[in-house]
Amino acid sequence: MSDTNHSNSNPFAYRKSSLNSKEKSMKGLLAFATYFIVACALCIFGKIIINGYPVLLNKGLSFITEKPQTLTVLEIEKNDDIQAPLENYENMLSSNVEPLEISNLKEFKKSFGYVTFDLESGSLIGDGYLMDIEKENNGLYLMFKERRQPEKLGFSIPQDKKFTIPKAELEIIQKNDPDLITSEVTNKEINIISKEVTIAKGEYPLKKVGFDALEKKTTLIFQMRQSYPDDEPDKVIQCVIPETQTITVPSSVYYAAFDEEENGTIPLVSEKSIFSSKTLSEFSLPKGAYKLSPASLRIFTANGGQHLHNLDRGSVVVKLDEAKTVTLAKESYDRLIADNPEIKVSNVQDKTQEVDYVSFTLDRDSEIQLNISDYQAFKEANSINNKFKPNAEHTHSYSGGGILGPIVGTACLVIICMVVALFTGIAAATYLNEYARKGGFTKVVRLAMLNLAGVPSIVFGLFGLGLFVMLAPVMTSSPSADSELLIPIAPLGSAPELRIAEAEAILTVDPELSTTLSAETARSAGAKKFYNGWLYLSFQGWGTCMLAGGFTLAIMVLPVIITSCEESLKAVPMGFREAAMALGATKWQSIRTAVLPYAFPGILTATVLGITRVAGETAPIMFTAAAAEKSDLPWQGIHSSGFGAFVDFLQQSVQALPYHIYTVAGRIPQSEYTEPMQYGSVLVFMIIVLLLSAVSIYLRIKIRNKIKW
Amino acid sequence: MIQIDNVSFSYDLGKTNVLRNISLDIPEKKVTSFIGPSGCGKSTLLRCLNRMNDLVETSRVTTGEIRIMDKNINAKDVDAIELRKNIGMVFQKYNPFPKSIYDNVAYGLRIQGIKKKDILDAAVEKALRGAALWDEVKDRLKDSALGLSGGQQQRLCIARTTAVQPKIILMDEPCSALDPIATAKVEELITELRNDYTIVIVTHSMQQASRISDKTAFFYLGELIEYADTDTIFQNPAQKQTEDYISGRFG
Repeated sequence: MSDTNHSNSNPFAYRKSSLNSKEKSMKGLLAFATYFIVACALCIFGKIIINGYPVLLNKGLSFITEKPQTLTVLEIEKNDDIQAPLENYENMLSSNVEPLEISNLKEFKKSFGYVTFDLESGSLIGDGYLMDIEKENNGLYLMFKERRQPEKLGFSIPQDKKFTIPKAELEIIQKNDPDLITSEVTNKEINIISKEVTIAKGEYPLKKVGFDALEKKTTLIFQMRQSYPDDEPDKVIQCVIPETQTITVPSSVYYAAFDEEENGTIPLVSEKSIFSSKTLSEFSLPKGAYKLSPASLRIFTANGGQHLHNLDRGSVVVKLDEAKTVTLAKESYDRLIADNPEIKVSNVQDKTQEVDYVSFTLDRDSEIQLNISDYQAFKEANSINNKFKPNAEHTHSYSGGGILGPIVGTACLVIICMVVALFTGIAAATYLNEYARKGGFTKVVRLAMLNLAGVPSIVFGLFGLGLFVMLAPVMTSSPSADSELLIPIAPLGSAPELRIAEAEAILTVDPELSTTLSAETARSAGAKKFYNGWLYLSFQGWGTCMLAGGFTLAIMVLPVIITSCEESLKAVPMGFREAAMALGATKWQSIRTAVLPYAFPGILTATVLGITRVAGETAPIMFTAAAAEKSDLPWQGIHSSGFGAFVDFLQQSVQALPYHIYTVAGRIPQSEYTEPMQYGSVLVFMIIVLLLSAVSIYLRIKIRNKIKW
Repeated sequence: MIQIDNVSFSYDLGKTNVLRNISLDIPEKKVTSFIGPSGCGKSTLLRCLNRMNDLVETSRVTTGEIRIMDKNINAKDVDAIELRKNIGMVFQKYNPFPKSIYDNVAYGLRIQGIKKKDILDAAVEKALRGAALWDEVKDRLKDSALGLSGGQQQRLCIARTTAVQPKIILMDEPCSALDPIATAKVEELITELRNDYTIVIVTHSMQQASRISDKTAFFYLGELIEYADTDTIFQNPAQKQTEDYISGRFG
């Protein structure tokens, strides 16, 4: 009974009751929920950091300063005297996690001959040669006046060579270039077999070799269910034959597409061999440079002659305001001059350039990881001595290089988005909070906005695709032939440069034609755009570009921005507005000088919240802006100048961080090489977001200290 | 100076009038105070005078008219902005902007488009001297106005108002947020300002009204009960309600 006594003496003693036990269990439950969240966060961040930091450690700064690349993993036998440019050699060292066993490292200089010359306006050169010049002179983009087939084209043969061509073709050569063939011509008769095959209507599997053969060498009507993916060349795709057809095919096609013992996969209803004969002429040409007509050159091309002319469309007449000084490797220059008789160059200077090279001995058979660009440099450097020859070579997309492209793309998207979202968001919030009557309308607008905030982001993606990518208006003198709506503005269009017109398939049509007819003409001619001298407001969309992506993201983030801007406007004391108004300020003056500045810290917070949200979105940019693969940064490869260049810049598609992570993590074959990239990208992304938040908090505190009331 | 002629006023498009048939003349270069219990409409009437009530969209003067300098201020050809440039207002809660002292005083001039530094400098100094604040703040004009004490802030607000040189200054309980010493300074300032400005002041403190004003109007439930010289109101009120109020029997 001492217990009872005790409780009698202490009226406040602890007593067991259901309330007390509930209190304890509730406290436990609430604490558990909290710690559960903390544990989850720690797991996520921990995993990202643990998996991601080795990448940053290995690649260092290059992870964020290099563009994404394909990684090649090579099995190389041990060998001595492997040569490589120093730069690529160093890249090799840094991209291999396990150190390679290398000895006998020697640095030396290798000199390359190159030529600088002034290319003059009016030069007539072939397409391929133009590309050559542009490739070696970074950023050069030459316009041309017209295309013209030169009377004679240069054609060089490095060694004495024997040609075997049909007799009919020889006759063409002899007619066009009577002086060309001086050697003896021997004729011989051969039999050739071709097959007449009948294919039943239906759907059949088809390999890529078969597809190529059918596509290029036959008249078969067929359709593929999908295109062949570049990274899986052995994939078999279904091919649809809409009706039963009988065609005659060369035997090579027969083996590629129909013969089951070879590569063939399509069954045949019937087949028949057709024997025929034709006369082949054989002759030889000694090595040297020749000048011959385009018609003859075409025949040599089909029989192993090498040149870079576009024989179908003719050479281009270069258009320049003044002679342009360009640089070209010695061999390329020699070929340019030899093959293009009507080129005009002046001020030709031979120069040499020394490049740092290394040679080394690989002591053991190893597996080497190399970015694809480095691999190409290695191959080139060892092309003569043949010391760098991998036994096997595996490629892993996006696993080499860094993530500069996605970082830049995300930055561009975020900037465009925030410019658009802040401008419209602040304007709308100010209108709603300061000007609009408090009533039904504002209520409806607010409700709509709240609903907008709940819409899934993929819906915004589709919305952006429909509105900005495919419908938004552009002002252009070469509108798309498939434009939704064309409004002619003025007959002030500027004719597109021939090169642009070719690249973008712009058809120049008769200015007398009406808009509808012009578009119709262009469509039926297979052109994508047309030009008829008028400037149009064309509702053709902006295409997949960062402008469309930025606008889509802006629409998505607007509800957040407007709501928080309104909150910060509401937090500005009424007294400021009244004081300003009482001093004779107009409404806008009072808002500009006595309201907006003091709402700024809140707007800043909203901005940064918006940025972090926008930067992480994948769905809205998937259809509107993002490219999985893009080697150029958005400002590279723009050929216009001034305002046009800015517009072109905005119309570039970009890589973006979240989309890149999605691609690396989910859309390409996974391997031990892709995984670190994926975590590395996530880690960098997380660091960027954290940095942004930190900056915003710092700014907010600083500004808040400066203006408070 | 100000003629209020049979004015009724409503905040809800005329459904209920919060001011009913008010008529009074406010003399030039005198201090006129409005007294009365909370909710009697004295602040509303004050805000009618510079059309601050325009900020409430559903407010209307339903009958009568207010003439300032012989112009009906609710007429169509009166611009509220121009009107407010001539009628300054000081609020119950001192509300300097979170800017420097100098920028606060110069605000009214700047929004009128005056940018020349020497003009602004002279105007700021004049206004601050006029508000008896110059000696206290002349060394820290660039400091934040929010670093000043409450009384100083309210006098700064008065200086901000006088800097644009209005004809009339409206004061809405300017001392209600201040301690007695600061109140005394502001009252002293008001007494001085009387020489240059017509001042209308709304106050809760009957002592304050009796100390500083030349004329006093007593409002009750939206109606003007009595309007007379201050001495008359406080020593010999004509109405029973006035007497009850000032002797503290209600309110």
